[in-house]
Amino acid sequence: MAIKGGGFDRKSKAASNIPDSSLADIAFLLLIFFMVTTVFKMGKDRPIEWAQASATEKIDEKIKNILNIWVERDGSVWVNDRNIPLEEVSDIVRPLYAASQRHLVISVRADRDTPYSYIDSVQKELVAAGVVRVVFATMLERQMRGIRR
Amino acid sequence: MAVLNQKKTKANSAIPTSSMADIAFLLLIFFLVTTTFPKDKGLAVVLPEQGEEVAVSQRNILHIIVRVDGIVDLRRGESTSVQQMRPDDIESVWRQEVTANPNLIAAVKTHPDAPHRYMIDVLDALQLAGAERISLQILEEF
Repeated sequence: MAIKGGGFDRKSKAASNIPDSSLADIAFLLLIFFMVTTVFKMGKDRPIEWAQASATEKIDEKIKNILNIWVERDGSVWVNDRNIPLEEVSDIVRPLYAASQRHLVISVRADRDTPYSYIDSVQKELVAAGVVRVVFATMLERQMRGIRR
Repeated sequence: MAVLNQKKTKANSAIPTSSMADIAFLLLIFFLVTTTFPKDKGLAVVLPEQGEEVAVSQRNILHIIVRVDGIVDLRRGESTSVQQMRPDDIESVWRQEVTANPNLIAAVKTHPDAPHRYMIDVLDALQLAGAERISLQILEEF
């Protein structure tokens, strides 16, 4: 009788198949993670070109307490998918600010080429609404300082 | 043999669990696709409250005037001499100035027609230099 396997018998008795009994556990773990971290988007993004800044930092506030105000190149202002006349920004923001117990952070998302006069008007509207915390949304600018200077 | 305890129905009384993993994966993929991680980033500023205007001695003000072409005019409080520079240079200037006068306030005055990004460049340089007292204004006389 020929020797099975050419004489090379399996010596180890360790199971050779991948254990799949914990597959469902892993799936549920991921499922619960994504369920907890999911935040459904509130409004659509406006097409703007971001300004860049190397001091960019994360906003330290819950997402539901951040209100995005989009300012486009032509000076049109968008809040929550609606185009709003500049003068009405404070009327829109004031009730939202009160509803958030003054926790609201305004993220001014302006196109990099927006003339500053529009930004200044938005700022004045925000001051009129009593808002204190404002963030100028920017993209992080990566720079190699040693080379640039 | 007694037939008393014999089951009549052959239906399985256990809840089927073989499709549980499928359901889990379905939900998993759904939440994977719908997840948006927060990407709110920017330069934080604190606006003054309404009517909260304080008179500041000219000595403690560093006027930073942002022109339409992005070049910055720097004017120290009382003096009338103007120094021109690029926004990047403000960082080192601010560090020097603030060691000389810790009460210094940066008054960033931007030309109404200047693009937003030039103001951001200046604000960026000031924040990199650790400036905390920044006032953002619009340039009125030019």
